[in-house]
This record gives sequence, C-alpha cells and structure tokens, in this order.
Amino acid sequence: MNRKNVIRSAMALLTVAGLTMAGITPAHAVTKTQVTIWSYGNVIEPWGETEYERLHPDIDLKIKKNSMDAHHQSLITAFKANTTPDIAAIEVSYSGFFRSYPKYFTNLNGLVNESDYLDWRWNQGVGNDGKVIGIPTDVGGLQVAYRKDLFKAHGLPTDRAAVGALWPTWQKFIDTGKLYVSKLTPAEKTSCKVKKVCFGFIDNAGTMYPAILNQGAKKYYETNGTLIYKTNANVKTAFTTTATALNSGISTRINQFTSDWNAGMMKGVFATVLAPAWMLDYIKQQAASTSGKWDVADLPGGGGNLGGSQLTVPTAAKHPQEAKDFIKWYLSPAIQLEIFKRYGLFPSASSLYNNTALTGYKDKFFSNAPIGQIYVTGARQLRPIFEGKNQRAIDNYFGQALAKVAVGKMTAAAAWSDAIAQIDKNIKN
Amino acid sequence: MSNATSSLDTRKRKPTNIFKSEDPHKAEKPKRKKDKERRKATENGIKALNPNWGYAFVAPFFVMFLIFGLAPVIYSIVIAFYNWDPLGDEQQFSGLMNFTDLIVDDQFWTALRNTFSIWFFSTIPQMIMAIGLASILRNPRLKGATFWRTILLVPNITSVLAIAIVFGQLFGRDFGLVNLALTYLGMPAHIDWIAEPLPSHIAIATMITWRWLGYNSLIFLASMLAIPSYLYESAELDGASKWQQFRYVTLPQLRNTITFVLIVGTIGGLQVFAEPLTLGGNMSGGDSRQFSTLTLFLYEQAFVNNRWGYAAAIGIFITIIVIIISAINFAITRRISSEEND
Repeated sequence: MNRKNVIRSAMALLTVAGLTMAGITPAHAVTKTQVTIWSYGNVIEPWGETEYERLHPDIDLKIKKNSMDAHHQSLITAFKANTTPDIAAIEVSYSGFFRSYPKYFTNLNGLVNESDYLDWRWNQGVGNDGKVIGIPTDVGGLQVAYRKDLFKAHGLPTDRAAVGALWPTWQKFIDTGKLYVSKLTPAEKTSCKVKKVCFGFIDNAGTMYPAILNQGAKKYYETNGTLIYKTNANVKTAFTTTATALNSGISTRINQFTSDWNAGMMKGVFATVLAPAWMLDYIKQQAASTSGKWDVADLPGGGGNLGGSQLTVPTAAKHPQEAKDFIKWYLSPAIQLEIFKRYGLFPSASSLYNNTALTGYKDKFFSNAPIGQIYVTGARQLRPIFEGKNQRAIDNYFGQALAKVAVGKMTAAAAWSDAIAQIDKNIKN
Repeated sequence: MSNATSSLDTRKRKPTNIFKSEDPHKAEKPKRKKDKERRKATENGIKALNPNWGYAFVAPFFVMFLIFGLAPVIYSIVIAFYNWDPLGDEQQFSGLMNFTDLIVDDQFWTALRNTFSIWFFSTIPQMIMAIGLASILRNPRLKGATFWRTILLVPNITSVLAIAIVFGQLFGRDFGLVNLALTYLGMPAHIDWIAEPLPSHIAIATMITWRWLGYNSLIFLASMLAIPSYLYESAELDGASKWQQFRYVTLPQLRNTITFVLIVGTIGGLQVFAEPLTLGGNMSGGDSRQFSTLTLFLYEQAFVNNRWGYAAAIGIFITIIVIIISAINFAITRRISSEEND
C-alpha cells in the first residue's frame, strides 16, 4: 500500500467512525443531579422534560426509551441486578406482573391526592400487599377515528353523531363495514387480488379484540389471581366477534405501527381506526396531509380503554426524592391537562373531567370534533378490570391465533382451541 | 525498567503471593542476589522467568470467562431444573419437567427448522457472492481498489436495528420497494414477505447477507492474495482460461478459508435474533411463528412468558446442537486437511 492509499483508507475509516459517533451527545454539566427515567413510547412527552428542567435547573432528566415489551423485559433484569433507574414506567398490561412483586418498589402512598385520579386507574398501581407502587399517567380511552371523505364516497353518513348511531353494537359495526366494502370501486377490489393492497373498512379488525375484551368486567384472571381465560364468556365473545369481523372482509391485512400502516393511513386504504387517545397524535404526525378529513365517533358497545401506564420509583433508585418530586409534578392534574392539549394523552386525573379546558377541547385535524368531550364520556363509562400476572403473554397468544384467522390459515374454532392449548402449555400462573 | 525487574524478583521469592503489593524496603536488602539473578535471567532468556508468571498473563481472560462465561452457564443449568420465578424469593424444584416438556414442544421444533432454513439462505448464497466479489477486487486493473475494499465493511458496522428497520420497509407487502420492483419485472402478485414462511426466511437472510457479505469478501480476498502468482503464471502457460484458473487454482487454494467462513457463519446462524425480532415486532417471530428462531424462542419463554427454567432448558438444547454441529465441522475440516497432505 503506498502513502496515497494509506491516506485514502484512513479518511474512509474516519468518515465511518464519524458516522457512528454522530449519535453521541456531549457530556452534561457535573453539578446537576441526574434523574434516570426508563420509559417507552410517549409516556414522558418532550415538553414535560424541558419544562421541568427549566423549572429545576439543578435536575437533569435522563430519559431512556425502549419499545414497550423490551422496556418491561429489561426492567425485570434490572430489578434482579439492582441496576434500576430512578423512575420506571409500567404499562397496564404489565401492571399485574409487577404488582405481584411490591418489594421492588418504593411506597408512594401520600405523594399525591388519590381522589384526584380515576379509581380503577389508581388501583392498577397498587401492589398486591396494598402498597402504592405507581401513580397513573394517562388513560388510553378508546374511540373510533374515521375518514369523513371516504365515508361519503362509500355511501355512509359523515356526521359524527349519525356515524356513532350506525354502530351501537359490534355486530352493527361489522355490518356497516360490509356495507362500506360492498361500495368499493372495481379497481379497489381487484387491487387486493393483484397487488395484495386490500382496501377495507378498518385497518386491522384484530384490534377489536382488546377493545371488546376491555369492555367486560373480567379478562383472564379472577381478582384473586385464578386463571379463567378458558371459562370467561367475555374472552370467548371478544374472540369470536373479532374472528367474525376478520372473516367478513371488512379488514385490510395491515398490522398497526408498520410502514404499510403509515402509508395506508395517508393513502386512504382504510376508513376507520380504533384509536386510543394517545394514538391521535400519531395519526396527525404520520398522515399530516389528511388533515381535516378525519373525525372521531363513539366506540361500539360503550367506552373502551387501551393502554396507559404508571410511573414508579424502584427501591434501588439512586435519587428517590428527586424522582418522587418529578412524578408529583408531571402527573399533577394541571400538567396532565397541559400534556393533553399538546399531545392528546388523555388525563387519568378525573378531577379534570368537569374542567371546560378539557371538555371543550377541539382539534382541527379531526374536523374540530370535541375530542375532550368524546373521550371524557368514554372514560366515564369504563369499568375497572383486573390485569393478572401474565396478562401480556396471554394477550399475545390470542392475538397470534386471531392473526391466523386473518390470513385464512385457520377457522375461528380451530384458532380458539389452538390458542387455549398454547396458553395451557406456556402459562403456569 | 528497574521497577519491573525488582517486582519480578520479589515475586520469584514468594510465588504464591504474586498479587500482593510489594514493600520497597524489603526489596532493597538482597540487592546482590538480585543482580545475580538478573544476569542469569538474561543468560537463559525467557526460560529463567518464573513459570507461574504465565498464569498472571492469562488470568484476565480466565477471570472474565469465569464471571461472564462459566458462572452464567452453571447458573442456567441449575435453574433449568426449577420452575423459576424471575423476581420471586422461593423457587420450586421441578426435576426434568422442563426438558420433557421441551422435547414434545412443537414451537421448539418450528424454531429449530426456521433457524436452519434461515442459516441455509444466508450462508450459501452469501459465500458464492463473497468469492465472486473477492475475485473482482483481486483484479489488479480495478480502479480505486482500496476505496472499494473499505466501503465493503460499511454494512458490517451499521446497527442491526437500523438495517432491520430499513429492510422492513423495503419488504413491506403493500408499498415495499422490493414488491414494486418485482411487479415491474412482471411478477403477477405481491409477495407477503412477512406472513409467508419461505419469503420471510429469504427476507431475513437478505439482511444477514447484506451485513456480512463485505466482511466475508475481505476474508476471501486476503486468502486469494496469498495464493502464489506462479501458480497462475504456469496455468496461463498451460493455456488455462480465466474460468479454469479460478476453478482449478483459486478454489482449491481457498478450501481452508471456505471452511472457516462456513463455521463462523454457522455460529452466527444459530444466534440469529435481532433481524427476526425487528421484522416481526415481537418475540414470537411472526404470527404463525413462521420465522421464530431458537434464540428468539428462548428469549420469548424467559421474558414474555416468564418461564426462566424452561428458557434455561432451551439454552442447554441449543448448546447440544452447537456441539453436534461443531463436531461435524471438525470432521470435515480434518478430512480436508488430510486430503491436502496426500
């Protein structure tokens, strides 16, 4: 290798090194107290972070985000190894699991005013021994986001009250969907066979399963922890209704949070999405060009819930006091309202539900629908539901079984017994 | 330097205490003896060093191996016999139940089959392409050879996650570029690269190939450059065409390298994890487990189902499989080298 070549390859290497190091941020001032937060998705919104740091110049919030499942999985190992952050977010579907191990969490009893919050959301942060291990963040109140322009083009009403009246029950929702797909243009119909871009009424009918399930009184567990996934009629109803919807041809075959989903949202491949409050912001960002074409109507079968989390302080936290201070501030009703206005995360602070700033909230993107009022009404209809220890894993097995129905690999009955067999084998408590 | 020597001497007197910090006053006293020993050490070269020193040099590896290698292995063998609760205090002994459950678990066998299928699609075509690329890079008439050689390594240092996200978009069923390109080439229908077993294996294998192709090409290139040029000259004199030169000179000389790349590829292939995880978005490796791999299955049992004991049993099975494959590899390598000696 001659000198010129050496220089050339050195420069190439430097470029490569520069590319890899570009992601590293410079070190912060040493005098600040670093409060580490592990979270996922949009639990801690950027405004909350910068505002808190502005108000408390001595605090540096270090937020580590992960995907939802990976976040909770690394929490388990962190608890075991005493390497936990100062604040850990816990999603409701994992709440049953972590509530079984309250000894890993600092008692947050008395940190905030319990009566400010929705009681059932509060209880999702109470350990099995009665200790308060987490304070609720948002409520994933569930409604139907729909495309007015597409509804009109396919012969359906567009007014949100009339749309809500189309589907008092899930069966009516499926019927409406059938009506919609019967009016698809010939080009849209053949597209499914040729390009496999299947136009449909709803993005993914599989999302109906958790929605219907959460409208019941019980899921997979009795409140004492006994497994009832096999016998609970609510589970079976949710499963069969969803399977019916999947077989009725109203659903595209797109999975949520994929690139196809984002593209489909913009191109009008589907007309409805079962949208928890926290998803509205995602829709706005991904399909910015469809602004004003969306609206929000009531969920069939009454209010629904999907998601939400608690903020906890693990016992191994290095700065428990600073962590508690942040939680107290960030989850206070006033800040929850601010976060709702900025990002659409629906507050769990029920003391706000009469506040006109919340009930009067409208959004241009969703045709000035009174989003605040719609989601408040939905949240009020919700009943508490017990999340058991392996809730998330059982959800996965039912979800996989429904996906097999969706691609036509199994009948609903076969998928049901397949899911039950898998859960019997893999879930011991 | 004198410091180093004195510490050497102190240690020679008390070989059992090599990690103890030394006392400077003690070291001063037997100065003459030290000089004598130093001279002796120089005369006999390295042989005069206390043989116990060798242990100190290899210690870092063994200490690390003990902490991060052996201890976890023993720990996981232990928990494989328990119904292990990850955060609980009391563990329930379950004997061989985890193992007997595993043998009849169809999900395990699916994962095993997928792993080998992905391994096949990622290793074999990749090796052929790598040898091809290496022969292009070997060509002395190639302009900017160093640039091409350097740029080949870029995929290898790209984060697996970034690769998986980009490829996930390329392989999108409805709006993915791959399907778009295939449609232009006359493919009648879009392929569902994620929901169908074989296409999903090919998609994952493509990611792995893209990432490791350059690295393997460089290894082949290095061993091609080591082939003496007189072999080619004499082949040319004998009237061998370019292809014949490649077939009868280059390929036989690459035999050891091919084995090496194959072994490394197999080890990597049994550990495929990040690609299927990101492609499917969850631990089950697709809704019908169509691209669930062994390591993914292990992780799913441990962290989704919270069955750590069962996951440990899977780990032991993977180890057994690796041992079997290594034995086969070893046998093949030995056969190749004995062929060369003939």
